[in-house]
Amino acid sequence: MMKRLLTLVITLMLAGPVFAQSGPLRLTITDGVIEPITFAVPSFEAETPAAQQAAADISRLVVQDLAGTGLFREVPATAFISQVSSFVQPVAFADWRAINAQALIVGAVNVNGNQLSVKFRLYDVFSGQELGQGLQFAGTADGWRRMGHKVADAVYSRITGEGGYFDSRVVFVSETGPKDARQKRLGIMDFDGSNVQFLTDSSSIVLAPRFSPNGDRVLYTSFESGFPRINVLNVANVGRQQLQTAPGEMAFSPRFSRDGRQVIYSLSNGGNTDIYRTDLGTGQHVRLTSAPSIETAPSLSPDGSQIVFESDRSGSQQLYIMSANGGEARRISFGEGRYGTPVWSPRGDLVAFTKQNAGRFHIGVMRLDGSEERLLTSSFLDEGPTWAPNGRVIMFSRETQGAAGTSSMYSVDISGRNLKAVPLQGGASDPSWGPLQP
Amino acid sequence: MASPGTIISGIGHVGLIGWLIVGWGLTSEPLEIQTMDVSVVSGEEFEQMRARTTPDPGDADPTAPVPPVVDETPPPPPAEEEPTETAPPPDPVEPPEAETPPPPPPPAPPETEVTDAPPVEPAPPVATPPTPDVDVSDAPTPPQAQTVTSTITTPPPPDANVHDIVRDEIVEDNSAEPEVVQEEQEATAPEETTTAIVIEDEAPSAPVSLAPATSARPSARPSLPTPPVETASAAEEPASEEQVAAEPEPSEDDVAAALEAALSAKPDAPAVAAGPPMTGAERDSFRLAVNGCWNVDPGSVAARVTVEVGFSLDREGKVRGNEVRLISSDGDQGATNTAFEAARRAILRCQSGGYQLPADKYDQWQDVVITFDPSGMRLR
Repeated sequence: MMKRLLTLVITLMLAGPVFAQSGPLRLTITDGVIEPITFAVPSFEAETPAAQQAAADISRLVVQDLAGTGLFREVPATAFISQVSSFVQPVAFADWRAINAQALIVGAVNVNGNQLSVKFRLYDVFSGQELGQGLQFAGTADGWRRMGHKVADAVYSRITGEGGYFDSRVVFVSETGPKDARQKRLGIMDFDGSNVQFLTDSSSIVLAPRFSPNGDRVLYTSFESGFPRINVLNVANVGRQQLQTAPGEMAFSPRFSRDGRQVIYSLSNGGNTDIYRTDLGTGQHVRLTSAPSIETAPSLSPDGSQIVFESDRSGSQQLYIMSANGGEARRISFGEGRYGTPVWSPRGDLVAFTKQNAGRFHIGVMRLDGSEERLLTSSFLDEGPTWAPNGRVIMFSRETQGAAGTSSMYSVDISGRNLKAVPLQGGASDPSWGPLQP
Repeated sequence: MASPGTIISGIGHVGLIGWLIVGWGLTSEPLEIQTMDVSVVSGEEFEQMRARTTPDPGDADPTAPVPPVVDETPPPPPAEEEPTETAPPPDPVEPPEAETPPPPPPPAPPETEVTDAPPVEPAPPVATPPTPDVDVSDAPTPPQAQTVTSTITTPPPPDANVHDIVRDEIVEDNSAEPEVVQEEQEATAPEETTTAIVIEDEAPSAPVSLAPATSARPSARPSLPTPPVETASAAEEPASEEQVAAEPEPSEDDVAAALEAALSAKPDAPAVAAGPPMTGAERDSFRLAVNGCWNVDPGSVAARVTVEVGFSLDREGKVRGNEVRLISSDGDQGATNTAFEAARRAILRCQSGGYQLPADKYDQWQDVVITFDPSGMRLR
């Protein structure tokens, strides 16, 4: 018996480390930091003398785009240890590691007549490797901003794993004049407020512009006839077409279907407002709701199978989801206050909304079942959220209080960080974010 | 002046203390305690035993089947032999063989008058062993035997010395220690036993087989270590001999073999880390070093993905070849890539001059697997 015990003890003593300490050291990390990723952009190389200005401009635009997201922070050029004088020269990673630049963007610009091309490479400094392969974009010289946005989109996408949104446009309502005599017209701009153009004049009130899925058309509500009517505007030639409605009916709050062939909107007739769908090709109308309450602000899910809308059928303004073909709806908002203007996220996992509670307006997001509601903003009047193409940023209108109050557009990250105004001359409201440009 | 009682008491106490000091009684071997297994005999069985010794033909039902017995699982009857069964013995020997086919279930005694039979010990279902090809009797009845045990002992040879005390046969063994001289003695044969109590009046006139035709047999009781069966004849207990041979007492060679086996196991486990293990503080320090560089974007889809990455460190605490590999993930491809890149950046960025780890425990941390779980940092 003793020998047997001795044998067991010896075996366990020798085999013990095998069981207790075999394999790699295992750790679990649950707490990280939330801070911008540092990046460095040495001024892009000008491959031709004519490209000097464009190279500098594009470099700065890439920095602005990335830093403007709040997810990146530029390492200033004054901290650089080494310079990149040539697009093809080897990168001295140690120099960039020393200044804690996690990403390095190296580029070159070539201008030949009216043709401009830009190419870039992205490096992961700490691994000493290139992230992806080099890319080159070409266009006309006056389109340098788009090429800069595309470079920034590519960098953003490679680092975050999400699509970018820099090379996109926003259609909005431009506002001028005092509140009691405000003039409104449709405008279109780059996501950052540059390149503003107007699509309509100020002769009549326009509301609620909405981009088509591919960005070629805009739906909006016009009071040109004295009654609200829905117009379809071609962005390229600003040609307009009115959605046919019966006399005495008021149509408003339109949105394109995901294929751009249909429009869902609200139609008010005899004091009752319901949601309809109209085929732009055939003009066929389909009524999707038939309740005595007010149903409006429909927004389709990314796959086009469901609609989120607002309704006061419960006695107060709340959010509901139903099939894209109508039918029974389920309520998803249950918090205090009133909910309106829901917009389905391009990712499909969230709904953005406007909430009014206790005299304040908020822009918020919630999951499709109403859970995890988060209010991202709070002010005297925030309303009309619209999603960036990648579902990461929300743009909305904010109006200040008082007779001299003005309306402007803001953007905020869905984390609630990086709230900032869109730089524009004059007032603006009701933005609709278009898709990434081809 | 002390009284005589006090003096006597004092002398007695002094004597007792002295006896204890001297140590008498303290070095004595503990008394050997003999243990004996007992079984509960039910009232039914007791009545049957009484009936066997004092039969009362008027009360006995001549057609009643053998009542179910509460039994340690008896071994099955050999297929080609005349089977015998034993009833619960007062001093049973456990039938420990797990592969022993269970006994047939107690036949349903619809007419039996016995109602206070102890509950049959529930047995887990077991596969019915193949039915031996034997003659089938309608009512298996054990043969007559005077002693009831849990095991069946075949009748001894006519010239065997039957005795209550079972003794092993002792023969002259030249290989054993020669200085121990034992007087030769003749082996005793165990008394013939059976496993069931049989009422003599119920005994059939003609011998019948105990083997059932088809019946689910309850399983054997949980196996206990098989003690060597102390029977007289080795030829009669071959199974016991095999068990003894299968479990030899470890020798010095066995200890050496265990040492050798344990040592030889090390080359087969290359990941085995030698030396003292990492302390909690050392692990926490390493974890914190990576924490500081793990940049989580709560708004990203990657914030919903947990990734497990692995890498190797050189002795300076730097990642070998800056190679970090993805081991597992619970997200889709895009989110996994983003989460993995964030983890990889964290590991590589914070290594700068090498992670500060105890050099004498290099074997413990040369290979590292880190799970990055952002569940606590998601937007809520």
